[in-house]
Amino acid sequence: MVAVVFGLLFIIELGNLGVYRLSYALSILKPEEQGFWTTLEVVAVILPTGFGLGFLIGWARTTRFVILRGLGSVYVDFFRSMPPIALIFFFYLIGGIELTRAHTNPYLVTTVTLWLGVAALALHTAAYQAEIVRAGILSVPSGQTEAADAVGISRLRTMFVVTLPQAFRLSLPALGNEFSSSIKDTSLLYAIGWTELSGVSYGLASTSFNTGYLYASLIIWLEAAFFYFIVTYIVTRTVRAVEDVYKVPGLEVARQ
Amino acid sequence: MSSIHARGVRKSFGDLEVLRGVDLDVNPGEVLCIVGPSGSGKSTLLRCINLLITPDEGEIYLDNIALTDPHIRPEWVRQQIGMVFQQFNLFTHLSAKKNVMLALRHVKHLDRKKAEATAKAQLGRVGLADKLNAYPAQLSGGQQQRVAIARALAMDPKVILFDEPTSALDPESIQDVLAVMGRLGQEGMTMAVVTHEMGFAKEVADRVIFFDGGRVIEEGSPDEIFERAGHERTQSFMKKILR
Repeated sequence: MVAVVFGLLFIIELGNLGVYRLSYALSILKPEEQGFWTTLEVVAVILPTGFGLGFLIGWARTTRFVILRGLGSVYVDFFRSMPPIALIFFFYLIGGIELTRAHTNPYLVTTVTLWLGVAALALHTAAYQAEIVRAGILSVPSGQTEAADAVGISRLRTMFVVTLPQAFRLSLPALGNEFSSSIKDTSLLYAIGWTELSGVSYGLASTSFNTGYLYASLIIWLEAAFFYFIVTYIVTRTVRAVEDVYKVPGLEVARQ
Repeated sequence: MSSIHARGVRKSFGDLEVLRGVDLDVNPGEVLCIVGPSGSGKSTLLRCINLLITPDEGEIYLDNIALTDPHIRPEWVRQQIGMVFQQFNLFTHLSAKKNVMLALRHVKHLDRKKAEATAKAQLGRVGLADKLNAYPAQLSGGQQQRVAIARALAMDPKVILFDEPTSALDPESIQDVLAVMGRLGQEGMTMAVVTHEMGFAKEVADRVIFFDGGRVIEEGSPDEIFERAGHERTQSFMKKILR
């Protein structure tokens, strides 16, 4: 509520300042929309792969197998301690150098290195999601597995029919959080040449000085923010819908 | 009707010796109550019987089968020996019916229809025919514990172990659960019950064991143990709880 009032006041204030030039705002809508679709494409790759990998690593960290636990722990320690922008550049540069050295077709080098940047972000969010999944698994009381043991269900099956369904339900709010945060991390991809929402916006902003229109940048980034909001909204609403599917009567999470 | 025989069972956790050579018999169709102070190893003993905990030493037999034989699969043992926990441990994400069905589907590999029919029958047996679709969080403690009993019964066990089944319940629920257990005992189920319910032990138990410090101190009929205990340790414990 407060946010809505603030937003309205902000828009009115911008109007008072003479910021609005509707023709300009509309003229950049088309390229911004292009960026939006590219962002959506990248997000559609990062979220499922990051979740899949994060799930496996999080699970590995809760098993009895010391080697799996150790590998998982090294993975998480490494990828959580790297700033995503540095990871993107590492992947982009190392990939680019190696491929060029191998005399790969330059067009292919560009495509592959761009997607290596995306892979960096997927691996980054996987580390965070691994911890979320691990916390979810650990938060299922040991009595649950003991009860499954006591009726003769095997350990592996118990994981799938008892532990994971409960862990998943408990993890969903945190996963939604991480999803929305990793959506915004895709804005860093402009740095290696992606023309997603941020790439497009930077491009528009740098040429906007030539138009002599003082507030152009502001309009550009407002539009970009609006499109980011749409992506985030789609994803977080989807997570909520999944939460509803996994809702347990009598154990509902309080919700406004 | 089946029996359980434990011989020389020992178990330590680190430096702590919890079971110090336990011999125990639960005869066919018998209701055996195990009483004793907290931390005496009663729960550990029950968990050794269905191999939730592996004993360090000693043998456990179900009829003539040595369960402690390394060739025996623990999953098989647990299908033969049901268990009911103090904290019920119902699967919180599943309805009462599905709690009972889970092992029928995944262990006995029954098809959905058969599993569902068994679940309905067993829940009816514990007086919960009207709660088939209720989730654990929507049930009272006593109802949850009766679902847990139905879940154990559905596997058609030869023996059922009860680990303080009423300790987490309010007085009213306790009676509901004890009534179900009493009926099971009359029907000839072989049962080992760790309990502080002296009323139940007096009424239903065929034999009572006083357990302390990781060993059986004394055993006898309910009257012998509660009223005419021979051992000093038993007497002082009974004095405290029968007050």
